[in-house]
Amino acid sequence: MDIVVCVKRVPDTSEADVIIAKDERTVEAGDLVFDINEWDKYAVEEAVLLKEKYGGTVTAVTLGPDETEDTLRRCFATGADKAIRLTDSAFEGSDAAAIAKIIHQAVKDLKFDLIFTGTQASDDGYGQVGPVLASLLGTPHASVVTQVDIADGKARVQRELEGGLSEVVEVPLPAVFTIQTGINEPRYVSIMGVRKAAGKEIETAGLADLGLTAEDVGEKGSMTKVERLFLPPVTKEAEIIQGSPDEASTRLAQIIKDKGGFS
Amino acid sequence: MSQIFVLAEHRKGSLREITWEMLNKGAELASRSGSELVAVLLGNRMDSFAGELAHGADRVLVVEDEQLENYNSEIYQNVLSRLLSEYEPVLTLIGHTAFGMDLAPSLAAEMGMPLSTDCIDVDLEGDKLTATRQMYGGKVNAEVSFAPAKQYLVTLRSGMFPAEAAATKDGKIEKSDFPPSATDRKKFIEYLEAAIGAVDITQADVLVSVGQGIGDIKNMPLVEELASSLGATLSCSRPVVDRKWLPKGHQVGTSGKTVKPKVYLAIGISGAFQHVAGVKASTIIAINKDPKAPIFRVADYGIVGDLFQVVPLLKDKVTALKGS
Amino acid sequence: MDFGLSKEQRDIQKAAREFAEAEFDKDYMLDLELNHKFPHELLKKACDLGFLGIDFPEEYGGAGYGLMEKALVCEEFGRVGGGVGTTVSTSHFASKIVLRSGNEAQKKKYLPSVCSGESLPVAGCFTEPDRGSDLVTFPLSTTAVKDGADYVINGPKTFISFADVAGFGVVLCQTDPEAKPPYRGHSTIIVDKPSEQPGITITDFVKMGWKSCATTQMSFSEVRVPQENLVGEENRGFYHTINFLDEFRVEIGACSVGTAQGAFEKALAYAKTREAFGRKIGTFQAISHKLADMATKIESARLIVYKAGWQFDKEGKVDPKLSSMAKWYPARVAVEVADEAIEILGGHGYMLENEVERFYRDARVYELIEGTREIHKNTIARSLLGKLE
Repeated sequence: MDIVVCVKRVPDTSEADVIIAKDERTVEAGDLVFDINEWDKYAVEEAVLLKEKYGGTVTAVTLGPDETEDTLRRCFATGADKAIRLTDSAFEGSDAAAIAKIIHQAVKDLKFDLIFTGTQASDDGYGQVGPVLASLLGTPHASVVTQVDIADGKARVQRELEGGLSEVVEVPLPAVFTIQTGINEPRYVSIMGVRKAAGKEIETAGLADLGLTAEDVGEKGSMTKVERLFLPPVTKEAEIIQGSPDEASTRLAQIIKDKGGFS
Repeated sequence: MSQIFVLAEHRKGSLREITWEMLNKGAELASRSGSELVAVLLGNRMDSFAGELAHGADRVLVVEDEQLENYNSEIYQNVLSRLLSEYEPVLTLIGHTAFGMDLAPSLAAEMGMPLSTDCIDVDLEGDKLTATRQMYGGKVNAEVSFAPAKQYLVTLRSGMFPAEAAATKDGKIEKSDFPPSATDRKKFIEYLEAAIGAVDITQADVLVSVGQGIGDIKNMPLVEELASSLGATLSCSRPVVDRKWLPKGHQVGTSGKTVKPKVYLAIGISGAFQHVAGVKASTIIAINKDPKAPIFRVADYGIVGDLFQVVPLLKDKVTALKGS
Repeated sequence: MDFGLSKEQRDIQKAAREFAEAEFDKDYMLDLELNHKFPHELLKKACDLGFLGIDFPEEYGGAGYGLMEKALVCEEFGRVGGGVGTTVSTSHFASKIVLRSGNEAQKKKYLPSVCSGESLPVAGCFTEPDRGSDLVTFPLSTTAVKDGADYVINGPKTFISFADVAGFGVVLCQTDPEAKPPYRGHSTIIVDKPSEQPGITITDFVKMGWKSCATTQMSFSEVRVPQENLVGEENRGFYHTINFLDEFRVEIGACSVGTAQGAFEKALAYAKTREAFGRKIGTFQAISHKLADMATKIESARLIVYKAGWQFDKEGKVDPKLSSMAKWYPARVAVEVADEAIEILGGHGYMLENEVERFYRDARVYELIEGTREIHKNTIARSLLGKLE
């Protein structure tokens, strides 16, 4: 079972302030802590679990500047065997479909049974790379996958739908799945893993290596473009209850009562 | 006349709300741009849905076949790519749902169309399309432009537009042939319903809902005790289920349940869109240490503070108030 | 000169941080604090991920990194856990005497179970009642006398960390009562499972902080251990011990930096959100300058620790003067920063649930263990001034 996992390095903005940069198209990296995209963490773990069960290799692929090697080393440390970083200043400004195009060039000649991506990335949340990549490769795909079972050259997967419902679909391999959080429990990076990662080489490939031209990628090769970032307009704001925790909770208890929370 | 397509979404015998949300938005765009609004309905024995949709669209384009009984991205894509080539709608709207997330990107790739996903708004001025979407967990909005194209594809986030079934139009129903499928690789096997536990959060009057902020399964008693003092039911956001701190049946949000209690108390929940989309409460109260958490934009009342401090105090106050 | 961490070091720092943030759970630590429990489960998980064996050679089950990398782990664990972090990251304690001075058979026997966690924690039984850090003036009260193939150990030890739950302990004993000066008659001897040895009684102290680590009084009465348990050379135990302490103090310094950082971050977050008189309290100079002072002290403490760690890894030893600096100063900074953090949090800072008061109480022990501030200033001064008449 040879598996390619596409990963992305993203800032953790769950509890951080997001400040829009002067260009109004990006956010200030500032004090933001960058790490592997949450969904990709599950995707890597799922790939490694399948490798541990069936043998084979896991190859992590990312796209980005030098810093993104941190993310690939994390993949090594948690079980990946190979890593490829796609990097070129021409890639700047690529939209999701262009990114899928770049990754396609890098993986099309690899031997793989499965390609995983995260269902989406926590920064831009497009959720496109996986299915577009499948389309370019001509393989079947399934999105929002919460279980993968392999038998007889086929994958039977659960896809998460709305309202607590899931569906089971079956596809022949090779296939592309976008992995949803909660599918497994991603392991921690161990010190042995860090050591292993340090001894591994990360392959890199640029525009020409991938047989692409500047027209294919970046803003030129993209059909969508983020023009402007802005803070969401305040349509409604909660009334923040002030005071010490004791005072605030006294008031809140009264509000809950008044709103019919208890009698 | 240019056309705007809305892909109807239905599952297990019901039209999904997103369909009406898109039709309502689509009607607005169509009237401003002088386009025809077309509901596209794929399925098996679709007469009654087609009738319903005719009230909200200028035309209903129906493709029926047994193979369309349940959603299958490959078969759907095969039908849609033919319809898009044939009718050339300037804009096609698909829901940013498990269905749309699976279908839209590869459809756009096959057709070479520009696509923006998970949009919260879309605007069509002449043939210039702009979309608004959210980034960084809803902390930032982005305006997205599209390269000039004959056709565009947008997936719209649920809950952004009115879901009332429109009755303003009397569209005609038109059937189109089911094209033979080029591939039959992907197979739908079955639906699985999440095991419903002892609780039914959709029926609760008061929900104490807990998020990732609780930090660990060992801290759950904190919220359980508050819930019990309130006589409330315990629910949660997705990360709590992902970490197996509560069973799936407790999850509120798009991939969980939609709830409609009188009071919804969100504790340590940041308020990601996917969560708040499932909250239709009369009063929403949030306790979160991050004053910029998106939950405060949907809540009616909030306390900015440490839940480990506030929740035990709140429990005491509720107990005291009950006794008085 | 390069002040940056290597990629590998950053990966280690990140791994330790990710683990600590997920596993040093607030309520779990509160339970340890209130019930004076040792964090066995947490320690096991940390060992499984290689955090304890990080600077032990690979042949003994370690990862083969150095003291600098170990310091990064101590720092991250201290940042989230305060004293609980220190309990976990220093639980290997006196096993490093076996690592640095033991023979091959001892290393093979003891070190793999240190790295795996099975024999953790490890006690270091050095201090004696009424003696403290003065190992020089009088012979030790704890003696080891050869009898057949054994040593027979008798005497008291005090302020011994981990003795109640230790997999083994290294006991500093007087083996030559006639030696002049007396420390030339010290030997370091391994005692397996002290709590299960007939003849050893262990009693717990009630203390100010660092409650996840029991600090105990030990009494040895006719305790027999085989002579092969002698670590290093007979009558060279004093040297084995001080060499070990020169190294180990850097770890305590790193735990201190982490504890200070954790308290600082809590104060910073509070200053950014807490409002008084209609504005965030961080906008008041009285608060903002405190934060600036705290950050500056932490940064300077960190640099001393890193330099000491770097020197040890490069030269195989730390200059005792630098080792003393890397211990007393970060420890002092941890106390001062935690104290200021309490001040910034006001009344909340005094409450157990906000952790900064625990960090403060935990930090206070860093100034006492492995030599007080005064002892270390003596060491530094002696090195600066020589034998000034």
